[in-house]
Amino acid sequence: MQINEQRQGAVIVLKPVGPLVQKDADQLKARAADVLRKSLGRFVIDASAIAYADSRGLEVLVELTEELGAGGQALKISAANETLREVLELTELTPLFEYHEDVNSAVRSFL
Amino acid sequence: MNQIGGQPHGDALGGRSTVRRRLAGGEAAPVWAALAITFVVVGSVAVTAWLTVRGHAKAMREARAAQVENACQFVAEAASPLLAAGDLTAVRRIVIDTARANALDELRIVLGDGGVLAAADPAAISSHQLPPQLPEISLASTVTSDARTVASARAVEIPGRGRARLEASGPATMPTGAMRDAQAAAGIVGAVGLVALMLVSRVLRRRLGGMAAIRASLLAFERGERSPETLTVDESLGAEARAWNELLAGRDAERRRQRAEHAAEALGAQRAPRTELDDACDALWQGLILIDERLHTKYANGAAAVFLRAKRDEVVGAEITRFVSDERLVNAIKGVASGAIRNRLTVEVERTGDNGSGVLRFSVRPVRRDDSAAAMILIEDVTQQRVADAARNAFVAQASHELRTPLTNIRLYVEQLLDGEPTPADRAQAINVISQESRRLERIVSDMLSVAEIEAGQLRIVQDDVRLDALFADLEADYRAQAEDKNLDLRFDLPPKLPVIQGDRDKIALALHNLIGNALKYTPAGGTVRVIVADDEQNFTVDVVDTGIGISPEDAERVFDKFYRAKDRRVAELTGTGLGLALAREVIRLHGGEVTVQSELDKGSTFTLSIPIHARAA
Repeated sequence: MQINEQRQGAVIVLKPVGPLVQKDADQLKARAADVLRKSLGRFVIDASAIAYADSRGLEVLVELTEELGAGGQALKISAANETLREVLELTELTPLFEYHEDVNSAVRSFL
Repeated sequence: MNQIGGQPHGDALGGRSTVRRRLAGGEAAPVWAALAITFVVVGSVAVTAWLTVRGHAKAMREARAAQVENACQFVAEAASPLLAAGDLTAVRRIVIDTARANALDELRIVLGDGGVLAAADPAAISSHQLPPQLPEISLASTVTSDARTVASARAVEIPGRGRARLEASGPATMPTGAMRDAQAAAGIVGAVGLVALMLVSRVLRRRLGGMAAIRASLLAFERGERSPETLTVDESLGAEARAWNELLAGRDAERRRQRAEHAAEALGAQRAPRTELDDACDALWQGLILIDERLHTKYANGAAAVFLRAKRDEVVGAEITRFVSDERLVNAIKGVASGAIRNRLTVEVERTGDNGSGVLRFSVRPVRRDDSAAAMILIEDVTQQRVADAARNAFVAQASHELRTPLTNIRLYVEQLLDGEPTPADRAQAINVISQESRRLERIVSDMLSVAEIEAGQLRIVQDDVRLDALFADLEADYRAQAEDKNLDLRFDLPPKLPVIQGDRDKIALALHNLIGNALKYTPAGGTVRVIVADDEQNFTVDVVDTGIGISPEDAERVFDKFYRAKDRRVAELTGTGLGLALAREVIRLHGGEVTVQSELDKGSTFTLSIPIHARAA
């Protein structure tokens, strides 16, 4: 899975490209954990290029937000498409995350 | 369940096949040793029994030989006077009775001519009359015996007539009770030995089967198997197997307990009794720490532990100076905790390294409530604010410079027009400069407004038909003169026919202006700038390729950040707001496209703008 990394100020934006499934999800988990450790949690997942997510993909998102939760934060997800939002709603995971319409507003939330 | 050493479903890990295979290996040695010992014991008993029987048989044969000889002697002595009296009938009865009494197969009196005078078997009698004179016969008494038979011969004196020969033979041994007892005892010993052998073998195999199953389980564990269902062995294999299963169960329970504890800790729920206030504090993204007058931490929320790069359990109860090293901060904490300082102190600490870099703001203040806490520390991650402040300051400085330069030019030329008596040529030049600088001002202000729109999340595109041929014609016209002034080779490689796409013409033009303008700006005189337009079924792509100063890998990661300007000295010498590429990427992303860069320092750069084909006009 291609994961683009972009820095906006002190905030790192991770943009996974493709469906968030199985090994790709584990790849995102490892990458995000590394970014989380380096940045004290100042990172955003740009979900605009995530077509859909399977159970493992959802599990990784939950694990990341739980890890951030230890520091009083929540995983910031921006630009999630309709499919991903519906999956999160159906699985009742929506309240666990912080949603932003686009990357810029997600980055601004760190100010 | 797929138990190791279990019943029918045996595979590579479980089942009897595994146990058997293991028994063929190391565990087989004790079994064979036990079997060998058992064989030796049973064999010794059997040999002893055999030797006893054999000795007894020899004694029996000797006794039998004596018995046969005595019987012969008895018959010879008894028959002698009877034969002398001619009473054959009595002699023959004695022979028959003696043969029967002594279990002789044959007992007979033979004459010198071979005739049989009396025999145990009457049919064998061939001489029915006793001759008056017997043929001469000489015979010494003999007793012979072998394993099967015993035979005896001796002379029978018949007074007045001569001698005859008494022959006797019979089985070497006679079945007796002792013999039968000895044989029975040997049989019983053999049978008991076999039964004992089977029992020992069974017990050993069962016991070693348990050990083999445990060993197979350990090997499976070494290979990475962690499932308790697979590692469990068949408990019918013995006490060891049951103990092993209990060990596995205990380990699994402990592992589950640790996981549950870890999960509870991660969710901030393990502390009991928890209150709503605890939950509220843990929901804060700011770190909150309460310390006593001895600098020991009385409370720390989850965020504080994250900021201090430690586990909360490690922080609570420990001295706070273990986790902070900045001298200003330590002094501030000591001052407030001791009561020497009664106002709030703020210290910003910059951290570097891979394990959480950034700027943390520590606000230390006394707790004046009636509690035992001496000081409260609030920790905030202000990294993004500091970066934004720095960028804003840089922008203000750069924008001031950018705005002042054209304004100064405009003011100078306006004053020149107002104060002097300019020639028509001077007037035309002044008006031209004023016009150019006005357009420059307009572009700067437009960029600033666009940045403001981006920051506010209000940047929108207006969908309309965009005639790309007209757009590129305008771009070429705009930059041709500038390229010639700088002695640059500017070339537009356009396909024969450019499409009309759906999009925001001004925004797309803005992005292209920034890319082409940057290429001209950062390419030294004599260089080349090529604008290559391609149109396939999926994307409309523009490559802006220059032979300019290039971008270092470090700067390439950040050139699209707002207000960022490369650290290259040659860039700093040129004016710019650091907004152009950020704007270009944003507006193209609003069209569903992307702007990327490939560059090599001192060689040149290639900026690629692509817009998905679905933006093509119908």
